[in-house]
Amino acid sequence: MIEGRKDLEGKVAEKISIAHRELKLKSQEWERFSGKVKLSRTFWLLAGIHNPLDTVFSPPVRPLNYTALASDGSQVFPDRHEALPCYLINIGSVVIHYGTGGKAYLNSYPRFFYNDEDRFTTWDGKKIPADGIVISERRNLMEFEEILKLAEACRDRENVIAISDGTLIFWRLEGMPDDFRNEVLAPFIQMMDKLKEMRVPIAGYTSFPGSTDVINALRVGLCPEKISYCNECPYTHLSEIPCAPIEGLTDRTLFSRVLKAGERSSVFESSSKILDFYGEHRIYFFYLNTGEEIARVEIPKWVAEDGELLNLAHTLILDQAKKGGGYPVSLIEAHEQAVVKAKDRDFFFELIREALIRSDFKVTVSRKGLSKRSPEI
Amino acid sequence: MTANHVGEVIESSTRGFVARSQNVGESPHFGYFVKTKGEPVVYGLVYEIITESKEPGRKPTTYGMSIEELRSEQPQIFELLKTEFHALVIAHSEQGRTRFSLPPLPPPIYSFVYECGKEEIEKLTSQDFFLRAIISSPNVPVDDLIIASLRYAQDSREFDKGYIVRMGKSLARIFKDDYERLSSVLRRII
Repeated sequence: MIEGRKDLEGKVAEKISIAHRELKLKSQEWERFSGKVKLSRTFWLLAGIHNPLDTVFSPPVRPLNYTALASDGSQVFPDRHEALPCYLINIGSVVIHYGTGGKAYLNSYPRFFYNDEDRFTTWDGKKIPADGIVISERRNLMEFEEILKLAEACRDRENVIAISDGTLIFWRLEGMPDDFRNEVLAPFIQMMDKLKEMRVPIAGYTSFPGSTDVINALRVGLCPEKISYCNECPYTHLSEIPCAPIEGLTDRTLFSRVLKAGERSSVFESSSKILDFYGEHRIYFFYLNTGEEIARVEIPKWVAEDGELLNLAHTLILDQAKKGGGYPVSLIEAHEQAVVKAKDRDFFFELIREALIRSDFKVTVSRKGLSKRSPEI
Repeated sequence: MTANHVGEVIESSTRGFVARSQNVGESPHFGYFVKTKGEPVVYGLVYEIITESKEPGRKPTTYGMSIEELRSEQPQIFELLKTEFHALVIAHSEQGRTRFSLPPLPPPIYSFVYECGKEEIEKLTSQDFFLRAIISSPNVPVDDLIIASLRYAQDSREFDKGYIVRMGKSLARIFKDDYERLSSVLRRII
């Protein structure tokens, strides 16, 4: 097993070397390469290229005083074995002022959903009960709404960064019907409009990302075709197709070779389909070496194209990650505020049962639900 | 002017109470006299002060920074820690009359805790009942609490030089079987 592992590591190192060489090569003619990537039709997401790919940026000087805003969410999904069809979303909310007058505000805002309009959603014209997917997307949206609330409450909006856990790309909505997609995306876009107006940069932070957008673009670079069309690939008869040598790598492994501690990569554009609905807030991203790992930082177009905001996002997210031992401290605390543990979940349903009993409602719990509560031997 | 409260009762019994300080690291001092207002007013002596994590699963780590640097660069930690102080009940007061016995009811939970003023301390310590309350309490650092509280008692009556001598005699009666201990306590008071 260990031998196999060593062998694999050797192969990966070789693949990284090829990818790194390609990154440098394609940077020399990045404009032409960018054109090919734009026109190609592949099975995978390709990074949009607007700059040389291999440029690295040292961290700008951190402003002495700054404010980090962050939110995170957690939920109790409805349980059909319980007495009442309802669910709970808990939003953790964090504001930390650094520098003179440093102060932190850590809060959590649980919201209980039980009305018909909460429990159901319109899905392709039909009314359906809100399931895990619907609730997760609603929770996601509520996290962004909390960030907006925090930004609006900031008295001084200079040197403020808003950080959200994970991606800013609602890619799960891609296959969903228009009505539900709009329920989530329309308010999200409005929120982005307001953040842009306030010039508060927002960043989606992904630790240990598995994304391959840049590697995929380099695979197009390896393809001998003038423009790549994967579904018409003329090389399938070969034992190894030309783009295969770097297949299986992640952008993270590539940039761990490129970036030194504190440095960020060039900014790339995501080509996720859902972004066609984002208007002027299309999502761009860069990779950041936090000193502990390579993280992916997603930002809207208006941050990517504003040197001042981009520098601010770079230095402040790096500082946040340093303070949190490799992961942004504001996100750690937002998670701690948001998290609903199994014990809390049991307590939540118990409160509901008690409230129903107090009001003389008949409480019916399924036999399965009951058997889990007091399993007999 | 009403003095600001220094804590809020979060655990309460007739024998003692625990209060959470408003700010991390701040507390009425060990051995100081505190009270809760209301009916009855309950008087206590601070016998333990603890600063720790609010969450049982999270432990403070080290940062290698001064407190000022931490306030500026890691301000969230002050929201994640708590300082609590434990007080031993030594007396209560009903309708203005001070009684050196346990109250009929413990102080209500969430009531504010205040530091006693000089006059109150003078009243609470004019006799040796508080010393007897300390000695008969398990789980308090008896000798150190005697020493600390007697200092505050003396401070509240700076012109009564004979006070410590009177209390020393009381201690001699209380510790009559244990000369070594009495001697250790007396030497540390002066």
